[in-house]
Amino acid sequence: MNNEIAEKIKGMLVERLRIPADELEYDSELFGEDIGLDSIDSIEIVVGIENLFGVDLSGASKEDFRSIETLTAYVEAHKED
Amino acid sequence: MPDVKRCVITGLGLVCAIGNDADECFESALKGRSGIADVKCFDTSNCYSHKGAEVDIATGDLASGNYDRTTALGIKAAGEAIADSGLNMDSEEASEIGVILGSCIAGASAVEKYYQDKENGGKGSLEDLKAIPASVIAGNVADYYKAGGITANIVNACAAGTLSVALAIDLIRGGKGEIFLAGGCDAFASLPFAGFHALKALDANECSPFNHSEGITLGEGAGVLVVESYEHAVKRGAKIYCDVLGSGVSSDAYHITAPRPDGEGQMSVIRRAIENSGLTADDIEYVNAHGTGTAKNDEAEFLSLKTCFEGNGNVTASSTKSMTGHCLGAAGAIEAVLTVKAITEGKLPPTTGYTDEDIEALKEKAGSVHFIANKPIEKDIHYAMSNSFAFGGNNASIVFAKDPKAIKFNASKHDLYVTGIGTVTGEYSEDTGDYRANIDSDTFKAYGVKTAFLRKLDRLSQLQLLSGIRALEDAGITVNEDNENLIGICIGTGDGPMTEIANFQKGIIRDGVDKGSAFAFPNTVYNAAGGYLSIFTGIKGYNVTIANGSQSGLQSICAASGAILFGYEDIMLATGTDECTDIDDELYTDLGLKGKDGFKLGEGSVTCVIEKDDSAFTRGAKRYAKICGFSSARDTSGDRNDNRRLSESALTEALRKVLAEAGMKPEDISCIYGFGNGIGKIDDFEKEVYKKIFGDGIKIRLVKQDFGEARAASASLQFAMLARDIDEGRFESGIAVSYGTSALYSAVLLTKA
Repeated sequence: MNNEIAEKIKGMLVERLRIPADELEYDSELFGEDIGLDSIDSIEIVVGIENLFGVDLSGASKEDFRSIETLTAYVEAHKED
Repeated sequence: MPDVKRCVITGLGLVCAIGNDADECFESALKGRSGIADVKCFDTSNCYSHKGAEVDIATGDLASGNYDRTTALGIKAAGEAIADSGLNMDSEEASEIGVILGSCIAGASAVEKYYQDKENGGKGSLEDLKAIPASVIAGNVADYYKAGGITANIVNACAAGTLSVALAIDLIRGGKGEIFLAGGCDAFASLPFAGFHALKALDANECSPFNHSEGITLGEGAGVLVVESYEHAVKRGAKIYCDVLGSGVSSDAYHITAPRPDGEGQMSVIRRAIENSGLTADDIEYVNAHGTGTAKNDEAEFLSLKTCFEGNGNVTASSTKSMTGHCLGAAGAIEAVLTVKAITEGKLPPTTGYTDEDIEALKEKAGSVHFIANKPIEKDIHYAMSNSFAFGGNNASIVFAKDPKAIKFNASKHDLYVTGIGTVTGEYSEDTGDYRANIDSDTFKAYGVKTAFLRKLDRLSQLQLLSGIRALEDAGITVNEDNENLIGICIGTGDGPMTEIANFQKGIIRDGVDKGSAFAFPNTVYNAAGGYLSIFTGIKGYNVTIANGSQSGLQSICAASGAILFGYEDIMLATGTDECTDIDDELYTDLGLKGKDGFKLGEGSVTCVIEKDDSAFTRGAKRYAKICGFSSARDTSGDRNDNRRLSESALTEALRKVLAEAGMKPEDISCIYGFGNGIGKIDDFEKEVYKKIFGDGIKIRLVKQDFGEARAASASLQFAMLARDIDEGRFESGIAVSYGTSALYSAVLLTKA
């Protein structure tokens, strides 16, 4: 996993979705009970990822949104350098 | 309440994208003429939708050009309603006319201009700054026409216009006024467009309610109805359009933006309105539906209408938003005007935009409800309903009638008690020079509020949630299936979620209208705090948010008391909540009210549980104090161009009325909890008035010297501390008094329980 990308995604989630940083691990289930993201949050993640990496998440599956790890993998695979 | 006053509509005013007056709008609606076109007032080139329903009048050409667009639209519609009703605003009768206006986005155009100026390196104009809060709208409209009755701004997002008419009926029936201009106004602005764009809730094309349901099209406008007691209307020989029978208000307690898919909250409000109007579901012949055009709304609303009117066989429905666009806080008022025209002329406007194929599909979805498609129908109807369902899960419904049956109310006279108090107050910090509340996630975890819920809440909503939970705990109330519909909420706030509004607007100024935050947008509406409180606690009853300066924290208690006395609820949470962040600090500093020669800003939230006697006795509830009277008063003495003016006569009248309601004399009162905030002129004025009425010996308590100017939270705190003082035997009785813009004062009198 690319830690640099993961850390940027974590920072974005903390800032845009007010998730407490100390409760957010790379493998935390984002849409599970603890973090509790919903459909509005997923829209915010799409915009956040696009702003950070220029990666369009509109083709991503539900599984890609599962955690910071899966989002990082998607960004790595679709990022154009 | 055996002898319920008839309330009638005696005047109409309307401006929206399909016309500049009520007749023109109704004619357009019957002809299916849409006002939706490409957005003109800002650049949407990077957005996926470019549609809007704008009014074709420049702001500078409205109301002498001196007001922001939301207020200016309200002034235009109010002027038409006044003329239509034959009211003479130069006569003595003008002093009795109250103004209740709903708004969702309030001065959003002023917010944009103010921060755009600052972004460009300027200072931001004082005029824009003063026009930002919803608190000023009704007072400014009242002052413009020299209407001297009480004012209120209802800020329940898309249900605000309907709730304003509902409140007007209650005030008239409660003996608090004979005639009100009631309605709503909202301007087309970048803030809501960017918000709904971010939520992907805009239709890329013209909206298509109850049809393709691919999203809303935003609109703008204002609707104002003259709501008047029947006796008053007859006495002055007014033309009467129809009766307004009653209303229903409910909460979904489900989600901050989405309606309940099972339609429970919508059905609850429809049934409440029908019952409160003394009718049955079979009586209703036309429903002006909420019909926004989002898939979630339309699906839930199809279900609600089909279920509520199953067996009616005669009911028709349409959404005029297909032509007017969704005018947010004005929507319910605009639709109320169109509904009154429909019932009086016997012509029912359609939902537009259907192809032949669509009409076939509609028949499948509509069940036994006749959804009027494309063309109006002519039908002599007697009872019609207008529904609004808003963000925060707030639902409101009103019923109009051509010839009313006898209205049956189950309400009788009751004593009201304060049975619970929850407070959050600020502590002074040398760093900020403000009183700010010390709350964090651990504070909430102690009450079982999980991170997943808490992170959604903005500062205002967090403050409100905490005081609300504490008040329920203090009152010993657990919300469950048995009582969830018997408890309601009335939020008072002076400035609302100003931090969220400012930050959202600054974001779109910086990044573009296409880059608004979907996460932040739901919290820019003033009623989000009340919505979250209902969602967390499960309260499904009455839910209204009033924004009217500091005195909102007392006006909420007046409105809550009314909701109980009318039999809507047994228990009401009445609150006052205002935040203090760096944004609030900036705005009050720019206004010149904070700091040297001004006050110290504070924040907090106070929730008081107001309860009906038999409910309190049955529960064995602790009773802090008894509410013996509540009143509001306003006048137009002094310089009406200055909405921060003080009025000795209005303050005196508020006190006179509250004493009269309680059947008490000035010498019976042992203490006043006043509104003094450290500004010498205000403090001296207040003391002088009290001394004149109550004598030199009257004890005056001021909470703001210990907790800062926390606006609505201060007013509620005055009330709560008085209740505690009485409970603990320090005083026998007392009055809490507060003030708002345009010389509005509220007073609540408490005695021993």
